[in-house]
Amino acid sequence: MTIQMPIRFALRQSVDPLVRQCDSLEVSAIDPDIAGQLASELPREDFVRILRTFEDGLGRLAVMLEAAVGKGDLDGYRRAAHSLAGAAAAVGARRLEHVARLGMDHRNTVDPRTIALHVRHEAHAALTELAALAENPPGPG
Amino acid sequence: MAGAAARVLIVEDTPTQAEVARALLRDLGHEIRVAETGAAAVEIGQAWRPDAVLMDIELPDFSGFEAMRRLRAEGVESAIIVVTAHGSVNHAVEAMREGAVDFIVKPYAKTRLTVTLQNALEKRALVTELREVKAQLARDRFFGFIGGSPAMQAVYRTIESVSASKANVFITGESGTGKELAAEAVHRASPRRAKPFVALNCGAIPRDLLESEIFGHVKGAFTGATDNRLGAAKLADGGTLFLDEIGEMPLDMQVKLLRFVQTGTFQAVGASKPEKVDVRIVSATNRDPWAEVEAGRFREDLYYRLYVVPVEMPPLRDRGDDVLLVARHFLGAFAKEEGKRFRGFARDAEAALATYAWPGNVRQLQNVVRNIVVLHDGDRVERAMLPPMLLRSGGARSAPTPAPIVAAIAASASFEPPVERPTAPASPGLVVAASPEAPPEPRVAEALPAWAPPASGEPFQPLAEVERRYILAALDHTSQDIPRAASMLGINPSTIYRKLQAWRAEEARAGR
Repeated sequence: MTIQMPIRFALRQSVDPLVRQCDSLEVSAIDPDIAGQLASELPREDFVRILRTFEDGLGRLAVMLEAAVGKGDLDGYRRAAHSLAGAAAAVGARRLEHVARLGMDHRNTVDPRTIALHVRHEAHAALTELAALAENPPGPG
Repeated sequence: MAGAAARVLIVEDTPTQAEVARALLRDLGHEIRVAETGAAAVEIGQAWRPDAVLMDIELPDFSGFEAMRRLRAEGVESAIIVVTAHGSVNHAVEAMREGAVDFIVKPYAKTRLTVTLQNALEKRALVTELREVKAQLARDRFFGFIGGSPAMQAVYRTIESVSASKANVFITGESGTGKELAAEAVHRASPRRAKPFVALNCGAIPRDLLESEIFGHVKGAFTGATDNRLGAAKLADGGTLFLDEIGEMPLDMQVKLLRFVQTGTFQAVGASKPEKVDVRIVSATNRDPWAEVEAGRFREDLYYRLYVVPVEMPPLRDRGDDVLLVARHFLGAFAKEEGKRFRGFARDAEAALATYAWPGNVRQLQNVVRNIVVLHDGDRVERAMLPPMLLRSGGARSAPTPAPIVAAIAASASFEPPVERPTAPASPGLVVAASPEAPPEPRVAEALPAWAPPASGEPFQPLAEVERRYILAALDHTSQDIPRAASMLGINPSTIYRKLQAWRAEEARAGR
């Protein structure tokens, strides 16, 4: 299985301490309980279809998020972050979901540009792990 | 519905989430659609009427709760399962308050989703079934009938059961119990409803014209047949032919009808070739059809052909509270028609209506109510406005003593209205089981000369002749006032018009 990567990630530059904390959890980008269960319960073609939908959504939402950040459109930024969190949660992309939820949170003080950067990083990580999961799904149960 | 393929609407603005739900449900074989906004959910819900909705709460345009309210307002009765990323108690409570059948938190496992959905579908199926059963048990309207009594429920059920079939139906019941209405209901509930319903009163048609009325005739077939004429059998092709008062059909005509019922083919009078039609036959009589067979007046073979599904119309006195339901309906309809204020009956007036035996069944009730509305005014019908016969009944509701019509005419105190057919609809769109008119004052025996049976050795007059003389006497007595004469005789004015027409035609024929 080959998942196309429409997003080309820049090297991480400055990372807010809060994001670094998230990164330092050193857990896999996806939740095996959710993504693994989907991969094991669904026929491969269904799982791949979900990943493609996820991938398409990520590309679209990442662009929206970055555009909103660029324009200083805080509402647009939060809406995109909300959608990203939902998409990530659906496939168990827990680190991406976590970062997106930081973006959604009105109380969060992390710079949106940092969040946007981090979203790209976590999206890449999630897609990579999900693609691997699609290639080698866990056994049923 | 549970177990069978259902329509499931996924309301979810995140395509990945929607795709996950769709994939998890794929095995169940349900038909699935996705709405990404609340507005789309309402639009699809209205048009598609899903059995179940998986409703996300946070939607781009308005909340899932608002979408639920709008769906309900549009009469969409899907089982709604609220799906949310927030498993808070508040959300769960609000979901249930808005009418959700269940609540599920994202992310969910396949089993959780499928079990929740199946439970919701089963619950909805049970609720729907329960409502249908309750509606059937409680319904007090059925194809123009008014009445929710057990006796009428049984009639409704029989009519519904038989409606899809082509089986012939035989309706029995006292005069005025709504036999023609039942026949129409059989037709209107059947797949033949778009085709004609043709009713023929075998008792009202001169015997020498009956064959032509049923099967038609060709030009020159007999004197007066100046043109080809289609009969009821042909006119009812694809639909239903209702033969009312079939017991009045002469035996020689019964043979021809039997052939028609057996083969579906008939020959118009004077025609050289038979014709085939597809007709369902519904027959009716107010007599006991088997007694007619035993008396040799009705062919046994025809009886078995026609008496396939019997429907017995209950007399009004056996219909409990239907009397008041029907009376209130008539009161509303006639008050509107006559521009009167009547809104209901006084309690003691209702008691009198409820306890009277109504020998003329619904038409008698219909005419009593019309009489009251025409002659009185007020907000409600008082007991004093009721005709004396209702007040004289003393509250005993018992079956009227069956009396031969001649005896009924002769008797003074116990007038029973003669055989009559239902009247026209009481109000547009709602036809009511009808019955003979009640005889308002003066009563027949008081108004007309007494009649005595022929002295020993003298021949009895044919019943038709007695009837003719009696109707003419009533007309003389009322100075040719047909509605009043009809009222005295307890029949419909149209009957007198019809009889007069038939007698004039007979006289004209005899004159030639």
